[in-house]
Amino acid sequence: MHSLKLIYAFLKMNIQMSLAYRADTVVNILLNLMWLGWELLSLNIIFSNTQTLGGWGIGELIALLGVFRLVNTLMIALIWPNTEKFNQSIRDGSMDYTILQPANSMFLVTFSRITVWRFWDLILAIILIVIGINMSGDLITAPQILTFILLALSGIIVIYSLWIVLIALTFWFTKFDNNVTILQALLDAGRYPATVYPVWLRVIVTFIIPIAVATTIPLQALRGELAFNQVLIFFFIGVASFIIASRVWKSGLKRYSGASS
Amino acid sequence: MFLIFKRLWQVNWAEQWQYRANLLMYLLYWLVSPIIYLAVWTSIATANGDVKGFTANDFITYYMVLLICDQVTSNIVIHTFGYKIQDGSLSGELIKPIHPMLTNALVNNVAFKILTMFGLTPIWIILFFLFQPDFSSVTLTGILLAIPAMMLAFLIGYFQSAAITALAFWTTRVYSIHEFYFALILLFSGQFVPLPLMPQLIQDIAQYLPFQLMLYYPIQLILGNLSTEQIIQGYVMTGVWLVISWLIFNWVWRKGVKKYSAVGA
Repeated sequence: MHSLKLIYAFLKMNIQMSLAYRADTVVNILLNLMWLGWELLSLNIIFSNTQTLGGWGIGELIALLGVFRLVNTLMIALIWPNTEKFNQSIRDGSMDYTILQPANSMFLVTFSRITVWRFWDLILAIILIVIGINMSGDLITAPQILTFILLALSGIIVIYSLWIVLIALTFWFTKFDNNVTILQALLDAGRYPATVYPVWLRVIVTFIIPIAVATTIPLQALRGELAFNQVLIFFFIGVASFIIASRVWKSGLKRYSGASS
Repeated sequence: MFLIFKRLWQVNWAEQWQYRANLLMYLLYWLVSPIIYLAVWTSIATANGDVKGFTANDFITYYMVLLICDQVTSNIVIHTFGYKIQDGSLSGELIKPIHPMLTNALVNNVAFKILTMFGLTPIWIILFFLFQPDFSSVTLTGILLAIPAMMLAFLIGYFQSAAITALAFWTTRVYSIHEFYFALILLFSGQFVPLPLMPQLIQDIAQYLPFQLMLYYPIQLILGNLSTEQIIQGYVMTGVWLVISWLIFNWVWRKGVKKYSAVGA
């Protein structure tokens, strides 16, 4: 309950901040629609030249685009603004005030900045996923949809945990303020099924920077390609990565000594 | 004049060299899309035998050459100059007797480019061994013809981006405008896929726009896919667009500088 109240407060604060830039919000939404148009056009170009991409149909790629956009929204609405604030607070020592507050510091660092208008993107992403599932036909069963939702959530938690680890590294290496760029750089790989990539690229986006765990894997669950034990494994990877990230965050916090001291 | 450029070069080279870690990140960021497109289209070509006559090797060579062309013809002037107009630090440069956009910023871009080339070379060689492209259609004449074409195309793109950057004299939303311009490049340059695979309408429009001169045309030159007539046509287009882009830039810049009143003044 306590944390819900906090999120509500943060949301209110961020809405107020963004209301100062209304015209920018409109421009941003227009640009966002432009990119959606481009993404759909590029899928159309691909499928006017082939029946399937690595065995996947256009409906499945639209659903994948929706999942990709979920991850992308997480990046732009939460990860980027908060990373910026976090890196700044490590440099100038204002991290002190975050730690002093009577709430979980990892929670505060995650939610204190929210790019509010991006919520619109969340709705778009869900619409894309629903349309995509509908287009891929009636072969899809309810359990497949459930495992899809479960693995999409756990994939997003994996990406989130990786982010926490990356920014926590700043406690050890203060100069490491490029921390999130590597995540963003490989994000585009989530637009297409990782199964079409050459092995080395697949290994990178599955194990090193696990974009595919949040995009390709849930879609494979939707297609019914994953056995029950595989679903369990990926779900536990989500849980485990969150636990590891919290541990890394805590031990990083112990290293923090303020910028002025 | 030569001395001025020499000194500007020393300063900008040292400045760019200082940010080499950022530069590597930028390079990684910028490399991923073409490699993904390469993977997607070679997978389609392998599954279907070919895509409208394009074989897997055609796609591999196309994107491998694209990596180089894009690096040569693109620019970052919006990121290195836009904020100067907005925060007023342009004032210091305006009182110097040299054009800030055509000297300092230009040299800065070239220094950035050469440094990223150093970073790209080893990565390109690794990709060469990973994808094993067959470059047998590449001729020395093609490469020699492509070098000036790419340099002129760089100038076209530079003048256009500089004109957009100069819009910062009027509006704070230059980055949004530039994002739109970037989308046009994506659509009409052949960055996503070789132009013949785009919808017919886009191909027809692309013919007359400058964007294909930045990627599709030099790539085809290097790969030796153009007839003499097409080569001449491309060079004529490049010349025409260079003049148009220069005139637009010059006009926007002049108007802008007159309008300019520095922050804090």
